[in-house]
Amino acid sequence: MDERDIWDWTGVFFESTIFIYGLVLLLVYALLAILSFYAIRKYTQSASLSDQHHDLLASPLAPGITVLAPAYNEGLTIIQNVRSLMTLNYPEFEVIIVNDGSADDTLEKLVEEFDLIKVDFAYNIRIITQPVRGLYKSTNPAYSKLLIIDKVNGKSKADAVNAGINAAAYDYFVCTDVDCILHTDTLLELIKPVLQEPKKRMIAVGATLRLANSCEFDEGVMVRMRPPQQWLPRFQEVEYIRSFVLGKMGWSRINSVPNVSGGLGLFDKEIAIRAGGYDSKSFGEDMELMFRMCRFSKDNGINYAIRYIPKTLCWTEGPASIKIFKRQRTRWAKGLAQLMYAHFSMFLRPRYGRMGMVVLPYNFFFELLAPIIEAVGVVFYVLMAIFGVINWPFALLLLVFVYTYAIMITTLAIVWDQLAFRYYRTWREVGQLCIMPFFEFLLYHPMIVVFSLVGYWDFLTGKKGAWGNMQRQGFGGVKK
Amino acid sequence: MVEWLLPYYKDIGGLPVVVQIALVFILLAICFTLLAYFSILRGRYRGYVRAKRQNRLNPIIDGLIVEHIVMNEALNKAKAAEHESVAMHFQLPELEPKWARQLLIDRIIDFRKNIRGTVGEALRTLYLDLELDRDTQRKLKSGSWNKKVQALNEYVSMGVPVADVTLLPLTNSRNRELRSAARHAYIKLSRNEPFKFFDVVSDNLLMWDQVELFRIITTTEKIVIPNFARWITYSTNKSVVSFCLKLVVHFNQTAAIPAIIKLLGTKDHYLRADAISALGKLEVNEVEHDLVEMYNNQPLNCQIEILKALGRLKGKAHLDFVKKEFLHASDFEVRKNAARAIVNMYPSGSPVVEELLVSATEENQLILRHCMNPLIKH
Repeated sequence: MDERDIWDWTGVFFESTIFIYGLVLLLVYALLAILSFYAIRKYTQSASLSDQHHDLLASPLAPGITVLAPAYNEGLTIIQNVRSLMTLNYPEFEVIIVNDGSADDTLEKLVEEFDLIKVDFAYNIRIITQPVRGLYKSTNPAYSKLLIIDKVNGKSKADAVNAGINAAAYDYFVCTDVDCILHTDTLLELIKPVLQEPKKRMIAVGATLRLANSCEFDEGVMVRMRPPQQWLPRFQEVEYIRSFVLGKMGWSRINSVPNVSGGLGLFDKEIAIRAGGYDSKSFGEDMELMFRMCRFSKDNGINYAIRYIPKTLCWTEGPASIKIFKRQRTRWAKGLAQLMYAHFSMFLRPRYGRMGMVVLPYNFFFELLAPIIEAVGVVFYVLMAIFGVINWPFALLLLVFVYTYAIMITTLAIVWDQLAFRYYRTWREVGQLCIMPFFEFLLYHPMIVVFSLVGYWDFLTGKKGAWGNMQRQGFGGVKK
Repeated sequence: MVEWLLPYYKDIGGLPVVVQIALVFILLAICFTLLAYFSILRGRYRGYVRAKRQNRLNPIIDGLIVEHIVMNEALNKAKAAEHESVAMHFQLPELEPKWARQLLIDRIIDFRKNIRGTVGEALRTLYLDLELDRDTQRKLKSGSWNKKVQALNEYVSMGVPVADVTLLPLTNSRNRELRSAARHAYIKLSRNEPFKFFDVVSDNLLMWDQVELFRIITTTEKIVIPNFARWITYSTNKSVVSFCLKLVVHFNQTAAIPAIIKLLGTKDHYLRADAISALGKLEVNEVEHDLVEMYNNQPLNCQIEILKALGRLKGKAHLDFVKKEFLHASDFEVRKNAARAIVNMYPSGSPVVEELLVSATEENQLILRHCMNPLIKH
């Protein structure tokens, strides 16, 4: 075989492999679209039939839930955010705010506003964290649900949440960020799949998140939803819709949810503790915990389930500048690489059920490897163009194929969302979302690929990353 | 590119497989995307029309209900003929279409949820006089489970009886929502024995079912509450037994206590823990000794329930036992529940608590102070 044959053979092999890879990915997306359609339809049919919240809200049988929100240097917005968490509708819950060694006046503001005093609290260290300096309860009965933990900074959200889990009184905990705005019925919605599960042990439930950037809030309550006016957050909104409404709802249908978002998720406390709690060294601590909880359940013969609900229950402020967006996405990519490295022993092992046979392979091939394959593809394309061996009509046709398919999948996600919930009031707002898929492929997606590669590089070179400040603007008063 | 492809139209098979597949996918993607946009337009248009109809008709319906029923003082003394004349006011051309009748049903139900007594009865009479129950009946006969559920919810809201023979099969339906709605309807509407389905229920009562049933059972007026000991003793369905224990506690059915005591010997430790908890809540002092006797052979969840029960029973005869658990148990939760039991038995400031606050280990002292603090609930 001469040198030219080897290059030809390599080229054909590469092209065929990439084509098959791409085709499988597109078929997976098609499958997810179908599965998510049925999952959303079932949810909306069930939700429309009766006033189910009313029953639960007044029931002494409702299981208690602990709401955990770590806070680091949130002095500017902490009071309003805590008040927002205290207004949740649920018969039995507590709110634990973990002040993770803030350097600002977060703790002082909380103490003053909520009449807090330091109490002798039997804090059971079931997960090791940085030392707790004190626990505070309010002398005002109106805030009896509130507990504040003041601890030494653990340099991660995970460490703070673990401290909260140690102090949690109830069997289920909801983990959120203190700067997220939750729907008032969040707890009622999240506990429902737990109570409705007939056979399996529900270890986690997630719900859809959206961007708060252009929404209106009044006293920490969302009063008007709008797609973000700036393009970068609006791209993220469309990405969130695709990821949650189409992706996670589809995976939920076959009990293969890979991750319950750190912004909002309900977890089985016992399983979370026995699995070791959040990993404070991980950059993707939410997904890492999920993997460990699944692994623990499988190792101990627990028939578990993880569910997602399509309703938006949480709004978070998305990065509006490329600099902050890059920081966020490199961290996510680094977290994914870390996770795959740590849990690769489950890869294609039937013992780990769907986690080993579906979730991990999918995330390895189509989440972790995708940016690398895309980058290699681009380099290959350029080289072929330089050597003049590209069949341009066919190449352009294949590009049109990928482009139209990507638009279709994202548009379907928007349709599923629109058919189930009429979140946006005007036609114009829906139109603003609908045009994004046409530009996402060309403007937004390349950024994600580059930032992911930077994240992988940071992981491989062991570059230490710190928790970046999102420089949020907060939701004070009615924001327009 | 298109010109270049034109010759291939005559012979698609001549194109490379990759391109053939790509062409098919492009075509599909364009079609689905267009269909998706059409669905969004259609969905929003239908929502717009629905909202417009509601905005137009709801004030008319509300006005009629308020004028002729809510504010109609004569209805209190009215006879049947008067009620019929009320129905006449609702026989308007705009309320004739099927969707308008559904709107009318929904509004009547909304009013009836908030208003009981004579007005509530008048709303029910209106529903029947306008023959809206026929619409509901049609939905109940529909093949679609969600229509059936809607019909059952309407019957329950309006208090219209449904034959047991229609409801009972649905209480074991494979569809969770339908099964649940049928059970509620059965309890609410059955004229014979509203709890009969406890005898025939074959699957587990989910926690969600229990929440809904609990609300129905505890809020329905004119319902004869049976002695739940019957199911605690004879039911083979553990979820029914567990649910009945909660009902016994709620209704404070002391007659069921012997049946619960028998449950202390059950092999299922979850059920045993429920029974221990129920005995504590019912303050059955005579089981105190038995609970202490069985303590050492129990799994953790039952041990914790025993300590909670002893705290509720406030029986000081076993203080030494609880103190021993508090001072020497290795499990944190056991010590915490023992401390809470001691605090329940002896209010703060009592010599026992004072002694423990001095003699116990630092961690145990902290646990005790935690349990004594009225600001800390758990």
